[in-house]
Amino acid sequence: MSGDPTGDGSGPEKAPADGDLSARLKRLETQLEGKRPKAAPSSAARTGASGGSAPLGQAMRLSTEFIAGVIAGGIIGYIVDHLFGSKPWGMIVMLMLGFVTGIYNVMRVSGFSGRKTEKDPRQES
Amino acid sequence: MAVSIDPIHQFELQPLVTLGHIGKQQLAFTQSALYMFAAVGIIALLTIVATAGRSVVPGRLQSLAETLYEFIADTVHQATGADGKRFLPLVFSLFMFVLILNLLGMIPYAFAVTSHLIVTFGLALVVILTVVIYGVAKHGTHFLGVFVPSGVPKPLLLIMVPIEIVSFLSRPISLSVRLFANILAGHIALKIFAFFVVQLLVAGAWGVLSPLPLALTIALTALEFLVAALQAYVFATLTAVYLADALHPGH
Repeated sequence: MSGDPTGDGSGPEKAPADGDLSARLKRLETQLEGKRPKAAPSSAARTGASGGSAPLGQAMRLSTEFIAGVIAGGIIGYIVDHLFGSKPWGMIVMLMLGFVTGIYNVMRVSGFSGRKTEKDPRQES
Repeated sequence: MAVSIDPIHQFELQPLVTLGHIGKQQLAFTQSALYMFAAVGIIALLTIVATAGRSVVPGRLQSLAETLYEFIADTVHQATGADGKRFLPLVFSLFMFVLILNLLGMIPYAFAVTSHLIVTFGLALVVILTVVIYGVAKHGTHFLGVFVPSGVPKPLLLIMVPIEIVSFLSRPISLSVRLFANILAGHIALKIFAFFVVQLLVAGAWGVLSPLPLALTIALTALEFLVAALQAYVFATLTAVYLADALHPGH
């Protein structure tokens, strides 16, 4: 909306300093980065970008993440059984693994796991 | 008096033009395809025609298009960083497609395309295949680093790597099931509660109670509009998050 990035880059006080385009672009980027936190203070608050409905989206995510883990495990187990003729065992093992994966997915989405601090904020949204 | 309810009927595919047969399977241009074409048409109208003027002070339509674009551009930028910009067209297309289809489905008597699992799964498959193909093409075997979580003790990797693999495979499922289930459940709930009004009205004295489900139907309609927009947003956000893995695998 505030479509004046060029106006920002060629600000009256700094524009003539460097003619180099890439340097100017880089400076523009840092300026934009400086401005961005006002709109979205942190990655956690970014989920608030869609108004108060973000927690609702989060809640919808949690259930499906869990179910998807179990379903994926079941499908893999079925395929393994089909390929290797290991009738019940592939399904049993992979379903359990899928169950674990589902819980792991939920923990990751809800930001429950302490590790992977770099990956988590993105997963959280 | 015996009015029967069939909340599933609205999701049936009706062939408009039959094209032929493969085996016993009919090939047809269904109303689902028609709605998809309509959605593409609306998106094109919104993004091409509305921004054709390119006025500095945007009009209503141009402002809407620009807002949507910047919203998605922001989401993609924050999820993937600077080099994720090449995926912006993909994410924006998916977002607009899902959003318009969801909103089209909210029109009374209209057909909700995204209530079909195969449609949403197709969209999710596009995302995941993009992630895999781009990741392998760009990073080669390094892409497998996406399955190795960082900061985990070596012995634990024996368990964590299979979990990560299953987790990765569950992504297209969760992506598609979430969208499909939300739209399907919402439309069924709307239909059933709306039908309660009719059932109470034909039940004599019970008709006094009919405003209750009517109020609930109105509230549900508002909720469904929220869900329609929210699911499109969630779909786009998760697409961006998954694409970030293709750009920077292995943390």
